[in-house]
Amino acid sequence: MFFFGYILPYAAAAVFVVGMVRRTWDWLSRPVPLPLTVSSVAGGRRARAAAVAKELVLFPSLYRGDRRLWLSAWLMHASLLVVLVGHTVGIAFAAQQFRYFGASKEASVWLSGAMGLLVGLVFTVALLTVLYRRAANVEVKRISGPDDYLALVLLLCVAASGLAMRYSAEVDLAEVRTYLAGLLVFRASPLPRAWLFLVHFAAVNALLLYFPFSKLVHLTGAFVGRSLLVQPPPVYPTPADGPTAAPLFSQGDRP
Amino acid sequence: MKSPMRLAKAEDVRAIGLAPAAEEERKPRLLAKLKELRGSMRSLAVMLDTCVKCGNCVRQCHSYLGTGDPLNAPPARADLMRKLYRRHFTLAGRLLGRITGAEDFDAQTLDAWLTYFYQCNECRRCAVFCPLGVDTAEVTIAGRHLLSELGMVPRFMQQVALNLQKTGNNMGIPKPALLDSVEFLQCEMLEETGLAVKIPVDQAGSEILYIPSSADFFTNVDTIIGVAKMFHALGASWTISSAVLEAANFGLLFNDSAMRAHNRRMRQAAEELGAELVLQGECGHGWRAARLCTEAASGPVRFRLMHVLDYTARNLGRLALRRLSMRVALHDPCNYARAGDLIDEPRRILRACVEELVELAPNREETFCCGGGSGILMDEMMEIRLKLGKKKAEQIQAAGRIDYLAAGCSICKAQLPHVAAHYGMPDLAIGGVMDLVGKAMDMNRSTGGV
Amino acid sequence: MSYVDVNGKQIEVDEDGFICDPDLWNEEIVRCFARLEGVDELTDDHWKVIHYLRGYYRQFGIAPMIRKLCKETGFNLQRIYELFPSGPAKGACKLAGLPKPTGCV
Repeated sequence: MFFFGYILPYAAAAVFVVGMVRRTWDWLSRPVPLPLTVSSVAGGRRARAAAVAKELVLFPSLYRGDRRLWLSAWLMHASLLVVLVGHTVGIAFAAQQFRYFGASKEASVWLSGAMGLLVGLVFTVALLTVLYRRAANVEVKRISGPDDYLALVLLLCVAASGLAMRYSAEVDLAEVRTYLAGLLVFRASPLPRAWLFLVHFAAVNALLLYFPFSKLVHLTGAFVGRSLLVQPPPVYPTPADGPTAAPLFSQGDRP
Repeated sequence: MKSPMRLAKAEDVRAIGLAPAAEEERKPRLLAKLKELRGSMRSLAVMLDTCVKCGNCVRQCHSYLGTGDPLNAPPARADLMRKLYRRHFTLAGRLLGRITGAEDFDAQTLDAWLTYFYQCNECRRCAVFCPLGVDTAEVTIAGRHLLSELGMVPRFMQQVALNLQKTGNNMGIPKPALLDSVEFLQCEMLEETGLAVKIPVDQAGSEILYIPSSADFFTNVDTIIGVAKMFHALGASWTISSAVLEAANFGLLFNDSAMRAHNRRMRQAAEELGAELVLQGECGHGWRAARLCTEAASGPVRFRLMHVLDYTARNLGRLALRRLSMRVALHDPCNYARAGDLIDEPRRILRACVEELVELAPNREETFCCGGGSGILMDEMMEIRLKLGKKKAEQIQAAGRIDYLAAGCSICKAQLPHVAAHYGMPDLAIGGVMDLVGKAMDMNRSTGGV
Repeated sequence: MSYVDVNGKQIEVDEDGFICDPDLWNEEIVRCFARLEGVDELTDDHWKVIHYLRGYYRQFGIAPMIRKLCKETGFNLQRIYELFPSGPAKGACKLAGLPKPTGCV
C-alpha cells in the first residue's frame, strides 16, 4: 500500500510529464525541410494561431466530415476538460466554490455534486459512443488496433469508477482532499481506504503511465500537426540569408 | 493484392543515380533510411505518432471510395509504415509488439508499400478532414522516397527522370524539336490572328522565364498558345528555356534528390537568362514543388516566383476578353487547392472568359483528385486509375451538361479524358484554363505595354 | 523483356509492346505490330501517318506534336483514332517504331 499510495502517484505523474515534454520536444526539434502548407492563412502569426486554435477548440474538420462523430468527439473532449477543472476546483475548495457566487454551503455542495455527475455522465456516454462506433462501424473497426480500444477502456475505467464514487457512502471527500494535498506538498497523509476511490486512483495512474507511449500524445501532437498545415509559404526572392534545408537523406544529392 | 505497376530494372535505376539494394540488404537499408527520415521530417514523426484512428478521413478518400480496398483507407495505408516504425523506433512497440500495432518487416512489406503508396494520389484531402492535421501524403511520399532508396522505382518515374537528366523535361524533347514545335505554333497563331505572336526560346535578358509543362508541346498545345497570346497582348518580355521545359517535378513524388536536382534547373535557367520573375505553367504538383520547396532546394534565389494563373488573374483588366458562349465546369487540381493557394484565381479568369462557370461539388479545398495525381499515369495502372477517378467522374456527371471541363494541370489533362470516356462522357472537352484565355482573347484590341 | 516474332525473327519489345531498338524497324514489323494493335488492314492513310512519324523521329529524335501530325498528314484527331484505335501516342507511334511518349500524356 505504501508503494500504491506514495510512490506510484509520483512515478505516474513524472512519466506523464517527462514523457509528454520529451515527446513534444522531440517533434519540435526535428526540422521541417519542405513546408507542407495546405492552406495559406493571411495575417501572420496571430492569424495562424487562431486558425489552429479554432480547429482544436471546435473540431470543424470533424464537423464537415461526420456530424455524429463530431458531436461525440467534441463532447468527450469538452466534458473531460470540465471534469479536470471540476476536480481541481471541487477538491481545492472542498465543494464550497459556489459560495463565492452567493450559494449557501449546502447548495454549493449540491451544485458541485450535480455538475460533476452531469459532466461525468456526458463523458461516459461520449466514451461509450465512440467505443461503439469503433466496434460497430466496419470501416472504423478495420483501422482499429488493440491500442485504440485500450485507451478507451482505460478512460472508461476512470470515468465509471469516478461516477460510482458519487453513490458510495464510504468515500469521504475530506479524507481524499487531505491525502491529495499531502501528495502535493510531499507530506504523507493517510491513503483513503474506500475501495472505489482506490480503483479510480489506480485507473488514473495507469492512464498517466500509458499516456506518453500511446496515441494519446495527440494532446500536444495536434498542435504540432495542425501548425504544420498552416505554415507560411516561403517568399521569393528569398531574403539574402534565407535557408537552404538539408536533404531528407544524409548522403546528400546525387547527380 | 499485388500492384500491376511495373518497376524499373536495376541498371535503369542506376542510370538515374540510385542504388538498388540486394534482397538481403533491403531490410537493414530500409530501417536505416526510415530512421534518418524520421529525424529529418518533423511531419513524418508527428504524423506517425498522433493518428487516433478516428476514421474521419476514410470516407473522404477518393482512392478508398473508388477502389473499395480497405488498405486504401488513409489510416490503413499509413499503418503500413507505422507498424514498422512502432516496432523499431518506439519503446512501447519494442516491448509490447502487436498490442501497440507494431509489426516487423516481412516478405510482404515492400509489395504492400509499392501497391498502396502508389494508389495514394498524394492529394491531401485527408489532411483537410483530419482534426489533428495528419497528412497521409507525408507518410506515403516518405514511403515512396524510401522505396526509391532501395532502388524500387516505377518504370514510368524512372523514364521521366532519365528524360529530365537528358533534356530537362519529362517527355524528352530535345532543343531542335522544341524549336520546330515553336515555329509550328507561331505559324498556327499567325494563321489564326494575323499577328506575329512569338514564343521566345532561351532569350537572355527576358524579364519573365515561363516554365511550361512539356505536355504543352505534345498534347496540350492550346495551353501554351493561350499563354503566348496573353504575353503578346500584355507586351511582356518573356522566354521559355530549352533547359527546363518542365513545370512538373516528379522527384517530389518519388525521390528527394531528383526533386532538388530539377528545382535547381529552374534556378540555373533563371539566373542564366537573367529573369526577374519565374512563372510556373499549368502543373499542379510542380507548382507545389516550386512554391514550397524552392527555398529549401535552391535557396536563396533572387527571382520572384508566381503561377501563370495568378499572373493572369492580376492582369485580367488589361486583356481584351470576350466571353465565350460556353458552360464550363472548373476542376480544382489538388495541388492548387491544397498546397498552391490557387483557388480564386482560376475562377476569376474563367468568369472573364466564358458565359457560365459551373462549380463541381465539393470543390476548393475539398476538391476530389482526378485519380492520376502524383504521376499515377502508367498505362498498366489503367484499371486502378479509372477507379481512382470514380469520385471525380460522379462530380462531373452531377454538374449536368457542360461544354468544357477546365483543369489547369497536365496530370489532370492526361487522366481525365480516360475517366470521362470510361464513365460515359466520351465527348466531354477537357483542357486547361489558359486555353480558354487564348480563345477568349480579342487580339486586335490588346492593350499592350506592361 | 519480351520478344515479338516477325517472320521468324525475334524483335525485342518493352512491356508496352514498343520496339526497344528503333533502328531495327522495318515495314514487316509494322504489319506484325498492326495485327497486335487490332489494325486489320494497313491502308495508304496508315502508311502516310507512319512515314510522317518515322521521318520526324529520324530528324528530331521524338514524336511530333499531335496537332502538327494532324496538320501535316491532313487527318483530324478523330481520323487518327479511326486509323489507330489506341491513339496517336500509343498506337501510331508504336507502329512507326518510336519509343513510347512518356510524361503527362
